[in-house]
Amino acid sequence: MATTLTINGETKSFDAPPEMPLLWVLRDILGMTGTKFGCGIAQCGACTVHVDGKAVRSCVLPISAVENRAITTIEHVGSTPSGAKVQKAWLEAEVIQCGYCQSGQIMSAAALLAATPNPDDADIDAAMAGNICRCGTYVRIREAIKLAASGRQS
Amino acid sequence: MRILASLVVIAIVAVALGVFIIRGPGPLDFAGGTKVALADYRAAKPTGVPAKLEKASLVERGEYLAKAADCMVCHTKPGEKDYSGGLGFKLPFGTLYSTNITPDKDTGIGNYSDQDFLNAVQRGKRHDGARLYPAMPYTSYTYMSDEDVLAVKAYLFSLPAVRAKAPENTLSFPFNQRWAMIFWSAVFNPDTRFAPDNSKSPEWNRGAYLAEALAHCGECHTPRNLGFALDNRKKFAGAITAGWHAFNISSDKATGVGNWSDADLIAYLSLGHAPGHGSASGPMGEAVDHSFSQFAPEDIRSIVAYLRSVPPVPSPDLPATTAPVAPASHKDGVTADARGKKVFASACASCHGWSGESPVSPMATLTGTWAVNDPAATNVAQIVLSGTKRHTPDGALSMPAFGNAYTDDEIAAVANYVTARFGTKGSKLTAKDVAELREQTAE
Repeated sequence: MATTLTINGETKSFDAPPEMPLLWVLRDILGMTGTKFGCGIAQCGACTVHVDGKAVRSCVLPISAVENRAITTIEHVGSTPSGAKVQKAWLEAEVIQCGYCQSGQIMSAAALLAATPNPDDADIDAAMAGNICRCGTYVRIREAIKLAASGRQS
Repeated sequence: MRILASLVVIAIVAVALGVFIIRGPGPLDFAGGTKVALADYRAAKPTGVPAKLEKASLVERGEYLAKAADCMVCHTKPGEKDYSGGLGFKLPFGTLYSTNITPDKDTGIGNYSDQDFLNAVQRGKRHDGARLYPAMPYTSYTYMSDEDVLAVKAYLFSLPAVRAKAPENTLSFPFNQRWAMIFWSAVFNPDTRFAPDNSKSPEWNRGAYLAEALAHCGECHTPRNLGFALDNRKKFAGAITAGWHAFNISSDKATGVGNWSDADLIAYLSLGHAPGHGSASGPMGEAVDHSFSQFAPEDIRSIVAYLRSVPPVPSPDLPATTAPVAPASHKDGVTADARGKKVFASACASCHGWSGESPVSPMATLTGTWAVNDPAATNVAQIVLSGTKRHTPDGALSMPAFGNAYTDDEIAAVANYVTARFGTKGSKLTAKDVAELREQTAE
């Protein structure tokens, strides 16, 4: 079935059944592999994208639910104000270890800062608890989010 | 001698009166109209299959009716062949296993004559004369016409014979005494066929037949009396069945379905979801997947018409109104349980949102559902334990089972948090309650 989605400001048309998760379309049909597959059941956060600016797990999101909505992925989040801040802070704090979960971490952090420009620890917990990192970079993630919020980046 | 005789008479009268009081009204007595025998009812045919199948073969008609009676869910163990039995029902007094109803001659019903099959379905009497336990809802199926029961038999006999012997029941004394069910049946099985009500519309009569004889709604949704039979004084007022809360489906506006629109009821039955009312899960989810979703649209409408007529019975354990949407920020609103909030943040918030309105799908919206507004949190805990999966026209939507990922303590905490945040009154579940819910669930 022909479907049209708005991804990173561009219109993309492709053939896929309406129940196909957005993640499969991104990775397998459109070749946008920055968004990662982790658990497939919305329990790890690796597949996080933005739908109308909110962080959503794309592995459980059928494409029928996101027609006519603005989808942003890790490939484009750097051109949003909060995404740019987060990416810069991530580099400065050297957050990443293996990196597999990090596109999801960055997407969740960018959505958090867009909604809550000065998050405290509880806000960070509430927004980031669903993003798992096997390398345990949580301390640096928290530090980088605070750095991005502070605007003290070099 | 005379004193003894009068004592005996008094005792017999007292027992008869007691039995009469406990038994109460039948499932259709509320309607009050004049009943006529099926053969004398001329307005329409309330039994059988919908018009589009009227000319279909006996086996095809039987298939529709078997699905309408939802035989498969109980008579199939997950992962095994359809209708081959072996599903365990965990009761407080032991486990009861469903039987193989494929046409296998040794382990199934291959040797059943038509009369044997009628006896089993309408009277709870097995081929060998032994009595069935009322986990088999023969007190509902007894209202099916002989023609429809035998169509179901023809369908079952058209399926491949599967050799599969169900495990022995593990019921404790006195419940393992099958013969005692003779007395139970004599009191609680009306052993009568559906009799249409002349004062009601043909649509109502069709709905009554479907809901009472086939879909057996009351077996889960009507509370039980002292004798474990349905208490139709509280018809469809909701009950706990197999560890799940089957909610009130009487026409009560506050706690039943009296305020649901026709479109809501039709969507819930045929798709397993009605906007703002949540999604069917657990045993009702199975009933939607295997039974109601297969109904012809006019049959669903008939059931809705019938449900509307069931007198309102309020559920005192439920709030008069469901809670509105919770605040968007995790900081606002009720934060009763710190541990529950922690579990919610890591496992639930990404799909259900902090407001209860899902960013993923309306099917995952918690706001407005009875599950989160039930202060006992029974179904919240059950869904967390065993997950849920619905097949919709837009594909399957599922929630993973967390029963093996979280402890009883954590599941109690998250259920208490969820009911406090998204419902009207937070639950007070303990780890022990969750452990008991795990026990009650069928396999």
